[in-house]
Amino acid sequence: MPKLRLPKATLALPAWVWLLAFFAAPVGLIIWYSFGYKPSIFGTHANDILSLDRYAEALSPTFFSTFSNTLWVGVVGTLACLIIGMPVAYWMAVKVPVAKRGLLIAAIMIPFWTNFLVRTIGWQIILAPQGWLSQGLQAVGILDGPLEILYSRSAVLIGVIYNYLPLMILPLFVAFDRVGEPLREASKDLGAGRLQTFLRVTIPLARPGIIAGLLLVYIPLMGDYITATVLGGAKGNMAGQLVAAQFQSAQNWALGSAMAVILILTILLSAAVLGLIIWLATLPFRSHYRLRLGAEA
Amino acid sequence: MTATTAPAPAASATARSRADEPTGTVVLENVTKRFGTAVAVDNITLHVEPGEFLSLLGPSGCGKTTTLRMLAGFEQPDEGSIRISGQDVLGIPPYKRNVNTVFQAYALFPHLTIAENVAYGLQQTKVPKAEIRTRVADALDMVRMRTFADRKPQQLSGGQQQRIALARALVNRPSVLLLDEPLGALDRQLREEMQLELKLLQSRVGISFIFVTHDQHEALSMSDRIAIMREGRIEQLADADTIYGAPTNAYVAGFIGQQNFFEATAKDATTATSAVGPVTTASANPAVHAGDAIVAAVRPEFVQLAAPSGDKKAPGRANVFDGTILSSSHLGETVQFLIDLGNDVSVQARLPTPSAPRLSEGDRATVTFSPDSVQFFPSESTAPQHDQNKE
Repeated sequence: MPKLRLPKATLALPAWVWLLAFFAAPVGLIIWYSFGYKPSIFGTHANDILSLDRYAEALSPTFFSTFSNTLWVGVVGTLACLIIGMPVAYWMAVKVPVAKRGLLIAAIMIPFWTNFLVRTIGWQIILAPQGWLSQGLQAVGILDGPLEILYSRSAVLIGVIYNYLPLMILPLFVAFDRVGEPLREASKDLGAGRLQTFLRVTIPLARPGIIAGLLLVYIPLMGDYITATVLGGAKGNMAGQLVAAQFQSAQNWALGSAMAVILILTILLSAAVLGLIIWLATLPFRSHYRLRLGAEA
Repeated sequence: MTATTAPAPAASATARSRADEPTGTVVLENVTKRFGTAVAVDNITLHVEPGEFLSLLGPSGCGKTTTLRMLAGFEQPDEGSIRISGQDVLGIPPYKRNVNTVFQAYALFPHLTIAENVAYGLQQTKVPKAEIRTRVADALDMVRMRTFADRKPQQLSGGQQQRIALARALVNRPSVLLLDEPLGALDRQLREEMQLELKLLQSRVGISFIFVTHDQHEALSMSDRIAIMREGRIEQLADADTIYGAPTNAYVAGFIGQQNFFEATAKDATTATSAVGPVTTASANPAVHAGDAIVAAVRPEFVQLAAPSGDKKAPGRANVFDGTILSSSHLGETVQFLIDLGNDVSVQARLPTPSAPRLSEGDRATVTFSPDSVQFFPSESTAPQHDQNKE
């Protein structure tokens, strides 16, 4: 009797169903809504007339500045996480004895045990004009008046760097760790100093981890609206807040959807452009060491 | 390929460099290295001649790899001094030493092609691009891997990767090449091929090779001299013939080749009494004194075996024992016997197949060996172990 053989992809069926129902379908719905309009003050959306008007509305000067602000916080915040996280991850993976690494990883993870919102509100207290940081800086004479940083783009930047730094450190740590001592030793044995070894062995081999870290921080950071709401005020507005406001307060699902689609496209495009820029910028360095002998014997 | 260049930092080094130690000389003087409380290398003194093939041989944990890593610059000695080509290298980082290493697991860069791997060292110095091309091609020709130049390391077999590791090190024309068990990961046949190739290559390039291994056959077949190491010390440093024929102590005697050891008590420098009868040696060991607990060593290939002669006087004579064959096994060109001599003493004999007596399990046999083939050593427990290396 012939046995029933299901295709191997069947194993992934639950995942596919989940993705389709809770990711693909909602995204499709959002895209569909974004071509509609808000029919009346009591209706949330209507799609009987399709247009790109909501996109024009979303990109009007009122909202456009929020998108550019989001992009600025996203790019600067992600790069700051990379610059701060890389030495930490390298130190943990290369310099710290293996026995002590677990403790450090735990220390990095511990903040995650506290609610995201609570942690962010914590920063509200720290950065407040009458907070301890402000008073301390005034006491030692660094500041003349109270610290005026809360409810600004800088406060949002501090908040997102704090919130997303662990997501950068962990993949970088794994990537640096996997390069391994033997290859670094081989590099030094062949006459490469510390910087050369880092640039020509550690970084290229850790590249997948670096890309993972960048995406892991950049994507949620761009969509984050809690940090901006708590620390940003009117000056530190981010696109996530706009989308939330359109859905929750203004009840304009069509406009909210158009904003959400623009945000998704901004993330995809900017990530691709940034990737291309980095690729082009490092091209001379990489081609300098490229060597092809060809097959002639 | 024979031309080697001296290390570059000359001005600051002249005060400490020595003219009587030409390029390729390696000198370790009273070098000690500790890891915490454990002593990995214990007061080693070693002098490697330019162009010499020297092996550091010993079991794992004997300090041979630590010694090599100190030469490469990955570890710093706690005491003593190390000079390479007459220059004191204490505190000089690996990337400024004119030595290269062939690593145990090859450590080829997986993201670079074979040619780029080999070029890596040259690209660190200011070698012109055109010269890099030709030197990389020559190095790959030398290890017969030219056609693999544009592949990635993971597309190569273990033996091929090993050759690339060798080419990557030699292309820099180091004054000393360090090899850390480079053949350990290869299967036996390939290993034997590579031993031969390595030895030929070494005589061709004329670079000093310091070769770390735990495999005595590897060390015996390739080395000009072998340093037998144990617990961080050098037990004996000599050529293969001397190590095999005239080991300085029971440890070396037992480590190289096979040995029969008879525990005995010395009557004088050349005779002793064992549990199965008297033994005598032709070469007196000055470390053996009357009344000492000793071991008498004789290699299986020097043990003579015959059917009992019926000579009643035979037992009781020195180096003649009666026994029973416990086992005999045919090894091709030799036959190996294990003979029980009574009193919990057994002896191994290995005889060439044509002259081996036709004895089998349970047969009575007479075992003899010439005093020339017997060596006396102080028993390990009583032997003063430090004398060898202390000044």
